[in-house]
Formats: sequence, structure tokens, C-alpha cells
Amino acid sequence: MRIRVAMAGLLGLAMGSMALPALAAEDPIKIALIEPFSGPVAAIGRDTLEAFEFYADRVNAAGGVLGGRKIEIVVFDNAMNAEKTTQQLRKAIDQDIRYISQGTGSNHALNIIKALKKYNRRNPGKEVMFFNHSAVTTSFTNELCMFWHFRFDHNVDQKVAALTTFMNTDQDVNKVYMINQNYAYGQAFQKAAHKYLKERAPKAKLVGDEMIVPFGKVLDFTPYIAKIKASGADTVLTGNWGPDATRLITAGANAGLKVKYYSIYAGIPAAMNTMGTKVSTFTPIIQITESHENDPDVPAWKVEEQNDWLAQYNKSEYVDRFRILFEMMVKAFNEAGSADPTAVGYALEGMTNRGVKSEAWMRPDDHQIHFPMVISHVSTDVKRPFIYNGENYKMAYKTDGWIAREDMLLPSSCKMKRPRK
Amino acid sequence: MDILIFSLFNGILYGMLLFMLSSGLTLIFGMMGVLNFAHASFFMLGAYFAYQISKFVGFWPALIIAPVVVGVIGAIVERYGLRRVHKFGHVAELLFTFGLAYVIEEAVQMIWGKVPVSYHIPEVMNFTLFSLYGLEYSAYRVFMLLVAVSMFVALFFLLTRTRVGLIIQGALTYPNIVASLGHNVPLVFMMVFGLGCALAGLAGVLAGNILGTEPGMAIQLGPIVFVVIVIGGLGSLNGALVASLFIGIMQTTAVSYDVSMNGFLNVIGVQVDFDSAWRMLVDLTVAQISPILPYLLLTLMLIVRPRGLFGVRDV
Repeated sequence: MRIRVAMAGLLGLAMGSMALPALAAEDPIKIALIEPFSGPVAAIGRDTLEAFEFYADRVNAAGGVLGGRKIEIVVFDNAMNAEKTTQQLRKAIDQDIRYISQGTGSNHALNIIKALKKYNRRNPGKEVMFFNHSAVTTSFTNELCMFWHFRFDHNVDQKVAALTTFMNTDQDVNKVYMINQNYAYGQAFQKAAHKYLKERAPKAKLVGDEMIVPFGKVLDFTPYIAKIKASGADTVLTGNWGPDATRLITAGANAGLKVKYYSIYAGIPAAMNTMGTKVSTFTPIIQITESHENDPDVPAWKVEEQNDWLAQYNKSEYVDRFRILFEMMVKAFNEAGSADPTAVGYALEGMTNRGVKSEAWMRPDDHQIHFPMVISHVSTDVKRPFIYNGENYKMAYKTDGWIAREDMLLPSSCKMKRPRK
Repeated sequence: MDILIFSLFNGILYGMLLFMLSSGLTLIFGMMGVLNFAHASFFMLGAYFAYQISKFVGFWPALIIAPVVVGVIGAIVERYGLRRVHKFGHVAELLFTFGLAYVIEEAVQMIWGKVPVSYHIPEVMNFTLFSLYGLEYSAYRVFMLLVAVSMFVALFFLLTRTRVGLIIQGALTYPNIVASLGHNVPLVFMMVFGLGCALAGLAGVLAGNILGTEPGMAIQLGPIVFVVIVIGGLGSLNGALVASLFIGIMQTTAVSYDVSMNGFLNVIGVQVDFDSAWRMLVDLTVAQISPILPYLLLTLMLIVRPRGLFGVRDV
């Protein structure tokens, strides 16, 4: 069996090299990845690129798309400056790249959407597609929606709705204290939380609603911890990320505050490493993700992929949506039979794809992905502790429950103008 | 009353943290006239060194070794960098330290990576010392307070009660006379700069595990230390102490009170329409604007009294 695989590989290699002159006519399909690759948050850009290369390599090793065309990732650095994202987008378009992907920072995604709306209207037949992998501002698939934008992550409203759905089933949740960062994303989180706490977790009583100046400006969270304590809250619902999340939770643990944290980003790997095992497990830090390695329901093919990932990068796999993006994109190329963004867009609409728990679905009305999400908390009692660049964090995530795809469905105000097929 | 005592106590804890961060900066400025933009970077270096050293030999040796290493690096920077730039004036010095901050940040990213490292409070200090109004205070926070206080006392004595302090103060005002008395003035400057950096390093060792040790920490902290030394008076150690405590108590108190302009307006009988643009402004509570209060104070201080609380010359 192994010999046959090796033979097939050799044969493929030989054929590949023989077919090289012919292939040269079939250019690779280029995807411009615009992310921060320099500056203090460059780690996010690098991690994203690793994911893109991981899946692109798999697609290319399997023979590419459309009968032999390879996928090529072209890197554009925005240095986390939204102005620069617009410049880099222009540069990518000048290089005849017709697929853009970005996700870190909704203000960047907003610039891309605005620019592409204009560009695509003025350049019919040469439209450029935007695959948004992580920018979660709700309006992108509502009032700002457009045909050439597909989002492969759930938006803030969906995540908050999912969190509150789960909070209603949690016996420990009675009095909720909200603390959020005072800027676009934090305000969106706060607004959504007000709405969905009422709709989906009516038993929870809101005892505090705090906004803080974001991005590490608050050094000492102790006075906030005192307020939370005084309010009698048993749960803190927060959209905070980065130092605004880790300092809050660290200050709480140091002051002996026993509350549950419900969050989107407070338990991400970098955060739990900053806080250490003792703080991270002092009180449950609950978060919502696509999947995680210690979930008992992870199917065999996903485990295999996670193992390959660990072997290749010496770090644990954390997000699953890049896989969904790539698998759907490849399917769309082949279904459309062309690399034209308009045809690919139509192929993506309503497409379903395998998921870790159950199928992922791209809603045609607003181009918003839908899949089940998992609620988990940070724990040291796990089979596969999280590994990052060879460093064992000695903790990972433990499943508390799943939110079904149906519970992620929210109405959309999107009125999309579609191009001619 | 409860809130008052609590805010006072927390404010002092936080204020002393600010003092630790800014004492080195004000020392360097007071003695040398150099506004060191890279100060927060030396703070970051202290935290990273402490993380690395405590991995091998534990926290306590790191507490001593890391500031010393940072101090030595500071002295080298002064000897081979700043001293050459010095003759071109203050703008050149400022630009030099500005560039240095970026160099240090990039170097840190190259060595330790771009994600936060796991630098934590030592286990022996990670227990509750006492409780106040339901909140526990770990021994480590009290230890930080003690170190900060002893830092102030030691610096104060060094500068005002010892021969070294006398020479340092003399070298600042009359460098030529001090030099002709047989003292090595450049060496004094090098020592002062090294000491200032070492103090920043010590602050990094103590605060890195509470604030989180990551490449962005220097940029986040940069502005607040400047606020402290401007309000306190550039170069004044006492001023830095008073300003730190004042800012600490003010911010802690502000967070504790959910008073907004709207509440005040309602009391005097003015109603602001819910949809008007003004609504957002008057709805802001004191708690929400607490982190920008120091910067507000900074601008007010520069208008009213540019030399700061205890300063002897204008900014």
C-alpha cells in the first residue's frame, strides 16, 4: 500500500515536471493576504499566513484547482494601519490579483469593502472578491453587504447570541456584570449583549454595565474588580481582548473574585499564556470557538489534520474557519469551472461543507457563514495541552456545550444587488 | 467612607507602581537634562530579562540580576551612544532615544517573539495577606509597595545625604568646576543614566508579571510616565512621588463613582434629548473617562504651571 502511494507520488512528480511547459500557460490563482506582518501585532498576521500556506499546500499537493492551476498566497503588509490596507489593496489590484483575504481588524475590512464597492462598480468584468476570514462587525453582512464579500466567521451579534443562549442553561448565571472596551467593537458587543440577554437569557439580571478606555490604557483593574464584587455579580460578560482582558482577569484572581467570565477572546492561547495556569483556572474563563482539540466529538479526519499541523508548525491548531474557507473556495472554483470572482461568488452562495460537529452553510442572502460553535473553558485537566512554538502551555479547552447552527441564525437587513451571471 | 478608604488604599498601591515606573526617568532628566523616550523600553527589558532569568534560577535572583543587566545596558548606551550625540544638543538626544525605543522593541520581538511570554508572580508570594471590604490583597502587591517605598527612600538619601549625591548634583549645575575639582563628570553621567535605567528595569521585574510581558507594553506605558514627571515637575523626585500618588488616587476614586454629567444636569432640572449628539457626551460617567484624566491634568498643568508641582524650571 505504502509503495503504491509512493509510486503514485513519483509518477505525479514526473508528470508534473513533464507537464511544466504546458502548465506555464495556466497561471496560478493568486490570493492577496493583507494582514499586519510588522509591528506589535505581527504575530497574528504570521499565524494567519501559516494557516493559509498550510491549506494552500494541501490543495496544490492534491493537484490544484480547475485541472492543475495552483493557489498562490501573496503577502501584503498593512502594519495594522487601516490606511495602508487601502494602499495595499490597490497594489494587489494593480498586480491583477482578483482574490483578497483579510480579517484582523474590522476597520481594515471596512476599508476593503468600501474600496471594492467602488472598484467593482466601475470595472465590470474585472471584479475583485473579498474573503473575510475574521472581521466580525455585524454590519458587513447587513446594511453594508455586497455580492463580492463572503464572511467565514460569525459576526459579533451571532457570537453574543450564542453565548447568551448558553448562559440561559448555566445554573451559575444569575447576576451579570458587563465590561467592554469603548470603541466600535466593544460598543457593538455591548449593544448585542443588551439585546440578546433580554431575548435569550431572560433569567439573568444585569447588575453592571461598564465601558473602559481600550488597548492597555487601564493598568490597574482592582477598582473595577471592587465594583464587580460590590454588585454581587456571579458572571462577567466581556468582549475584552488583549491586555484589557488578561489584566482584568488577573486582577480578579489576585483579589479572590470568584465569578464566571463569559467572553469571545479572553481565553485565546496568547491570553492564557500571559495569565498562567493558576489565574486561567482560578475561575472558569468561558469562550466560544469553532472547535478545539480536546472536544470528544472531533472527527478522525480533523484529528489527523491537527496532528499534521502540530508536526509542521510545532504548535496546536486553534481555528477551524481557515479550513472551511479553503475547502469552500476550492469547491467553488471547480463548480464554477472558472476563476472568475462572479462565477465563484454564485457557486459559494448556499454552499455547504463538512464541519467538525455538523455542516457549515454559506447563507446566500447575506454571504454569512453558519456553523455550530463550541462553548469551552480553560482547564489544565486536558489530554492535549496547547502547544505554541514548542512551548507547552499545560492547559487547553474543555467543552461545556455546543450551540447548534440554527441558534446562530439571525435575521439580516442585507439587500444585495447581484451581478448578471 | 468605605469607598474613600478603599480608593485611598488602592490608589496608593497603584500610585507607587507609577512612581516606580517614572522615578528613573525623572532622575535622568533632573541630573542630565535628557528626556529619555526609551525609558519604557528599559522597563520592558527588565520584565523580559526577569522572565528569562527566573526560568533558570527563580524569581529572587532575577529581582537582583535583571535590573543590574538593564543598568549596564543603559550605561553602555550612554557611553557609546548618548555621549556622542550629546554635543549636538537636546533635539539630537531626544531623537536618539526615540529611535532607541524602536530598536529595543524590534530586538525584543526577535528574541522572545511577538506573543506575550508567561512571566508570573512567584509562588511564595502568591497568597492572600489580608482582605479589605471583600477584596483580597496578595502578598506580592504589598511587596511591590514596600520595594517602591524603599526605592524612594534610598534615592532620596543617595542624592541629598551622600558624597556621591553631592557630586551628582554639582556635576549637573557646574560640570566644569566639578571636573576641575578632579571628578570624572562623564563617568558620573554614565552612572546616573545606568541607575535610571536600572530603576526602570526593577519596575519591569516587579510589574511585568502583573501587567503582562509583551512587546507592546513599552508603547502602552510610555505616555503615562511622561504625564507623571511633567505634573510632578521635570527632574523632581519628590514631585514624581506626589504626582504618582495623586494620579493613582484620582483614577481609583474616579472609577469607583458612576457619576455622569447627565445625572448632575437632571438634578438641576435640565433634560437632554435622548437622540441628540450631546447625549453621548453628558452620559459619560467619571468612571469612563478616568484613564484620560491624567492627560487632562497634564494639559491643564502645562497651561497653568508649566514647571509642574515641584519643578524648578519650565518645560
